[in-house]
Amino acid sequence: MSASDDQADVERVLAGDVSAFEGIVRRWQGPLVNLAYRFCHDRGRSEDMAQEAFLRAYRGLAQWRKDAVFSSWLFALATNLYRSELRRIPSRTVSLEDIAEPHDTRASDAGQEDRDYDRDSAVRRAVGALPAKYREALTLFYFHDMDIGTAARSLGLPEGTLKARLFRGREILRSKLPQLLAVPHLKEA
Amino acid sequence: MRRLTEHDEAEINSILSREDEILPSSGFAVSVMDAVRREAAAPPPIPFPWKRALPGLVVAGLALALILVRGVAAIAQLGKGTAPQLSMSMPPVPPPILHGGIGSAAIWTALALLVAFVSVKLSMRVASGRM
Repeated sequence: MSASDDQADVERVLAGDVSAFEGIVRRWQGPLVNLAYRFCHDRGRSEDMAQEAFLRAYRGLAQWRKDAVFSSWLFALATNLYRSELRRIPSRTVSLEDIAEPHDTRASDAGQEDRDYDRDSAVRRAVGALPAKYREALTLFYFHDMDIGTAARSLGLPEGTLKARLFRGREILRSKLPQLLAVPHLKEA
Repeated sequence: MRRLTEHDEAEINSILSREDEILPSSGFAVSVMDAVRREAAAPPPIPFPWKRALPGLVVAGLALALILVRGVAAIAQLGKGTAPQLSMSMPPVPPPILHGGIGSAAIWTALALLVAFVSVKLSMRVASGRM
């Protein structure tokens, strides 16, 4: 994905060539749908949310200041939209207290992969049950491959605030799932 | 609460970095472009008719300012009038603004209703494009 392609398409759209927006959609549909999916964990809804994000981007294309990378602007716009959508209609989550720790299957016949799968899904459910500010920080941080700067820009937060939220979010996870994270990961042993 | 260790952090990082990726459905881009084309073809939103609304807004502002000035003056007069009356234990004299009685109140009410009616009719005419 090249920034110059984005810039060229934006200029063509602003000059009146609506079809040039298709290039932007094709380049960014995957990331925007996946980001929405991380927020709502519903495939159908994530496409609706991503479509609305593209529409807003189209409407506000003239507001993109070219000193920032187009993708940063697009992700910040989409993140804002997804956060307000989730506040309007929250996705189905269970409370942190209700997230069951997976059974200790070390002695059973279940394989390592099953145990990893159970543990991973419990941790992801726990992330979904975190208060919004920690959940959003964790979601954006891991979506952007643990790049603090990009995640902070998407959320419109200073890096220090994001780091503090990440730390606190992980601490809550740790405290709510103590047994789960204490289980030694046999693959690493 | 047990503090987060480096091992915990690495564990959480490793779990949350492995989130599954989904692929947009095959018609997604087409459906987005349809919505964008509809948006582009739609007429631009009607701007607020500032030129037409400005005289009304100015009149409303002036009326509000006048009411405030009259109100403040009436309160000031009431304050002046009540101070000596308290010492003489006489009943307070109502401020001049309240002197008119029922007749005056009826006129003010009728005037307010007339202003409301005219503004509703005017805005309906503006909305229907007859002006």
